[in-house]
Amino acid sequence: MSSDSDARSRENASEKTVIKGACFSGFGDNSTPTCVDVKDNKIVRIRPLHWDWKYEPEDFNPWKYEARGKTFEPPLKAPVPPHGLAYKKRVYSPNRILYPLKRVDWDPAGAPGSTGPGGRNPQNRGISKYERISWDEALDIVAAEIRRVVDTYGPEGVLLQAEGHSEGKVIHAPHGCSTYLMNLLGGYTQQIRNPDSWEGWYWGAKHVWGNEPVGLNFEYASNMYNDVAKNTEMLICQGCDQETTPWGFGGGTLPSLLSYWYTDLGIKQIYISPDLNYAAAVHADKWIPILPNTDVALQLALAYQWIVNDTYDKEYVETHVVGFEKFADYVLGKEDGVPKTPKWASEKCGVPSRTIKALAKQWGSKRTTVAHGQGGPMIRGPYSSEPARMEVCLLGMQGLGKPGVNQLNFVEGTMLGSYNRVRSGRPGVVGMQTPASIVRPHVGAAYRGYIPFMWKQESLIPKPLLHDVIDTGSYDIYGSADQMDPVDDQFKHYVYPLPGKNEIHMMWSDTPCFTTCWNDGNAFHRSMRNPKIECILVQHPWMENDCLFADIILPSNTKFETSDIGADHWPVQYNCVYLEEQAIEPRGETMSDYEVVVAIADRLGLKEEYTQGRSVDDWIKVGFDGSGMEKAGLCSWEEIQDKKYYVIPTDPDWEKIPHGMIEFYEDPEKYPMTTPSGKLEFYSQRLAENFPDDMERPPVPHWVEKSEFHDERLSSERARTYTLLVISNHPRWRVHAQMDDVNWFHEIETGKVRGADGYPYEPVWLHPSEAEKRGIKNGDVVTIFNERGKVLGGAYITERIMPGVVYIDHGARYDPIVPGELDRGGAINTICPHKTTSKNCAGMVTSGFLAEVERTDLDALRKQYPEAFSRPFDRGSGQTFERVLHKGEETR
Amino acid sequence: MKAMIIDITKCNGCYACQIACKDEHVANDWTPIAKPQPDTGQFWMKTKDIVRGQVPRVKVAYMHHICQHCDEAPCLKACKMGAIYKREDGTVIIDPVKCSGHKLCIDACPYGVIYYNNDLQIAQKCTWCAHLLDKGWKEPRCVDSCPTGALQFGEEEDLKDLIARAEMLLPEANVGPRIYYIGLPKRFVAGGVYDPEEDECVEDATVSLKDAAGKEVATAKTDGFGDFWFDGLGVGVYSMRVEKSGYVPIEIIDISTEQDINIGDLELSKSAQ
Repeated sequence: MSSDSDARSRENASEKTVIKGACFSGFGDNSTPTCVDVKDNKIVRIRPLHWDWKYEPEDFNPWKYEARGKTFEPPLKAPVPPHGLAYKKRVYSPNRILYPLKRVDWDPAGAPGSTGPGGRNPQNRGISKYERISWDEALDIVAAEIRRVVDTYGPEGVLLQAEGHSEGKVIHAPHGCSTYLMNLLGGYTQQIRNPDSWEGWYWGAKHVWGNEPVGLNFEYASNMYNDVAKNTEMLICQGCDQETTPWGFGGGTLPSLLSYWYTDLGIKQIYISPDLNYAAAVHADKWIPILPNTDVALQLALAYQWIVNDTYDKEYVETHVVGFEKFADYVLGKEDGVPKTPKWASEKCGVPSRTIKALAKQWGSKRTTVAHGQGGPMIRGPYSSEPARMEVCLLGMQGLGKPGVNQLNFVEGTMLGSYNRVRSGRPGVVGMQTPASIVRPHVGAAYRGYIPFMWKQESLIPKPLLHDVIDTGSYDIYGSADQMDPVDDQFKHYVYPLPGKNEIHMMWSDTPCFTTCWNDGNAFHRSMRNPKIECILVQHPWMENDCLFADIILPSNTKFETSDIGADHWPVQYNCVYLEEQAIEPRGETMSDYEVVVAIADRLGLKEEYTQGRSVDDWIKVGFDGSGMEKAGLCSWEEIQDKKYYVIPTDPDWEKIPHGMIEFYEDPEKYPMTTPSGKLEFYSQRLAENFPDDMERPPVPHWVEKSEFHDERLSSERARTYTLLVISNHPRWRVHAQMDDVNWFHEIETGKVRGADGYPYEPVWLHPSEAEKRGIKNGDVVTIFNERGKVLGGAYITERIMPGVVYIDHGARYDPIVPGELDRGGAINTICPHKTTSKNCAGMVTSGFLAEVERTDLDALRKQYPEAFSRPFDRGSGQTFERVLHKGEETR
Repeated sequence: MKAMIIDITKCNGCYACQIACKDEHVANDWTPIAKPQPDTGQFWMKTKDIVRGQVPRVKVAYMHHICQHCDEAPCLKACKMGAIYKREDGTVIIDPVKCSGHKLCIDACPYGVIYYNNDLQIAQKCTWCAHLLDKGWKEPRCVDSCPTGALQFGEEEDLKDLIARAEMLLPEANVGPRIYYIGLPKRFVAGGVYDPEEDECVEDATVSLKDAAGKEVATAKTDGFGDFWFDGLGVGVYSMRVEKSGYVPIEIIDISTEQDINIGDLELSKSAQ
């Protein structure tokens, strides 16, 4: 199959099979490769790649686990979740933007802030419609605006929103291609990506154990799956849903298989969460429902039980922990007069005190690992630093690092940890949760997108502060919130604008999902109308979310429409390198995100510099060469061109890589943590010194009832009006904002709820007792509301959620009925708290806040807002591209 | 002859089978095996959530409804056009060209897995992806896409060990289905036991369950959380006795398993000294 004539005949054939990674994390990483069968320029099917398609299994040394007399051998096919299988719906979505668009009442000739005909009309963003323009006109406008803003305000006048979740692409990076171009123009203001899936770990746990960069156990995740299998007796999944979050972020469905195996091995799985999440639904031996964002109360009571009953590892604490006494003083009530007893905790968290005692007894007597899959309700609420710190303290009290006693992450794991080791130049073997392959391939040399830590600009705006910063024109904070920054950054002082520099006046986004994925989307909507922002440029394949605020929209395309290279180096079943050949012609007039920026660079006379004179094919070769496959004698350029993929063999010595934190456990002096003391810091001297008055993140982890920043507890006066606590998870049937238009997911019971008006509403989970109180029936359209606005959804009445709680996933497409106030699409983040995690933690709060739910009078709403309810929508997939078009544009 | 195993105990509810079926059949024309499936509304491999129990003792089972490729297929017999036939490998096919949309097969099917395509005016259902099997595929798309092994497909002979412990859906229909289920959800009774005086969960209490006739059907010991579960029960009325030395035994009667039931947390009082 290697001859040129064969290659040509394949190219000419109307049928072909190409490989595409189906990961949705968007940073040039990939996982879960699929085979895409194509016929006559149409995607026929997408199916899991079988690793042994073109190789014999012995070529890649298949791994297996053996523990307690049982064997785990995952099937030889990529563990592709349903998102990957339904991917073509995203390609052919009726919501695709197929040509450049301009907002009809935005005239770039108008003066900044001008209104009326010939003006820029910023006040109409989110309301006014769009008209089709040519690529020529679009590029002229864009290049002229970039030049004008840079010349008038300096390069800091341009804010790049250039990070996020999206397709796994490398050369055609869906995020951040703009950064390379703006660097050539002298820089830009950077929207800093906060640790959105790890808030509490980043702001809290890092102060206890380091564990850079995000505070979950990523640095010491090697062979963790095996350690659990061999040594763990009880697995606690606190706010963890390994049947959801790994799907889009590299793990695929492998954690699902392992969870079944762990049950076979007799490992008890305990789920602590307000909802019976998808993992608990099938794997739980015990579900402990807990009120949203009250985990720290439960955790304090566990510590209390262990201290008073003498059931913790005192020897370990003596050698591995600093500040235990101050911690114990708080737990026992010596600090504040309140002992953190199970009874005290029960009133806060809703878990019966006897259950807390039983859990303390079980955990104190069984080798216990705590598992996470990120994004759970535990670490995205107000003061999320506290439960995260507490968890590490609890693990520390039971001998963290001992075989079977660890923190396990079902997602990402060592991938991020190894970044950090590379950055800090620290030695050590970094494996994966899964058995290591002999080489971790990386095709980053070809990656043209955003890399979190590479080019941090001096002028920056932490994303959770963006709306504030636009409105107030300044901030003065500690910590940039950069998700990949080491903990030292949290003590660094930042101001905006930089002395002698200007504020932002133009926004360029390839990440248009703030409204539905970040904090207080309604406030964001209002700030998008600030006349200070003279131009909003968005490039995106789909007409969704923040695209609605754009002045000019450039249509980018999906990975199926481009040629690229991919590599799985996440902790999945096998590491793999593959050529991602083009599957179909670009739809409409679309270009890839990279090609869009190339076109803009060309208009600015910078194409040669921007592309470094390389074609896409050249970049593919650069990526492959950088992967080290050929150098290591594993796979030649010729072989990869012939076979299209290469599975890296399992390291025969994978089991020798130390598992979890065993080294620290055995010798904390030789293998210290990266904290100042090298030990687990139950009391943080650094926090005490830098923020002596911080009551939201004091030196030892605390329960915070309320503060200047947040008042979101059931004890609040507000709870008389807003009686329910909201939990919002990483979505099951989306990856954040991605794939909300896949109608095949809408047909699933927990996918969407079809309203009486035929509209696919986002499911709103309510316990039958709460529904009955409010006269709500399954399938009713309901309104979730608080002071920050209202969101419609479809009632899903279920025993999978505890009373007192309303559950709705984030990431549904924003479909404003009253912009900035009332949303039909179910974008719950439009009403989540405005303020950051706490005063000195510029994270976001997207779960664990107060709201009320009522049955919606749909007829009344339709009469009141006829325009919003008459917008065209597709009965299957919901919102369509046409709804934003100016009158008369539909026929063009 | 082919057969399919559906192991409910291994299904994580990812719906990959349902989605893959749509990926294969929507907007793809596999005549003579099948014409395109409508974009939405048909589920040739249908997954369904079954939420069992009440807070906090709840589980979810995912049921799968698919053409059973019966050996005595009622649809085949009902069709007046002779459009339905059984292949040598056991697959039952509705010939999409011969079908004239009389819907007799839909009425005849005891499993409710034949759909009517309004646009094409034909009946449609699972084909076990026979167009792929004929090209050398070893299994249909739903099975290829199943990550956990909950779905298996192959020669009946090769699956005989699994078939031996499997059950059929609607065995009373007596139509020779070729789909075998493992772990079909039955009913459970669950609860917890605690000592109100000590405010502690009671471990190692003996819980015995009796049926309506007073016959003991199962016993269990409470776990570290004081919890007990009886799964795999039939629909009926049960009674229960909870005992542990040092405590006054309690009896609960009239426990209906019309649905899965969490009978709640039961107080166990210390017996007088």
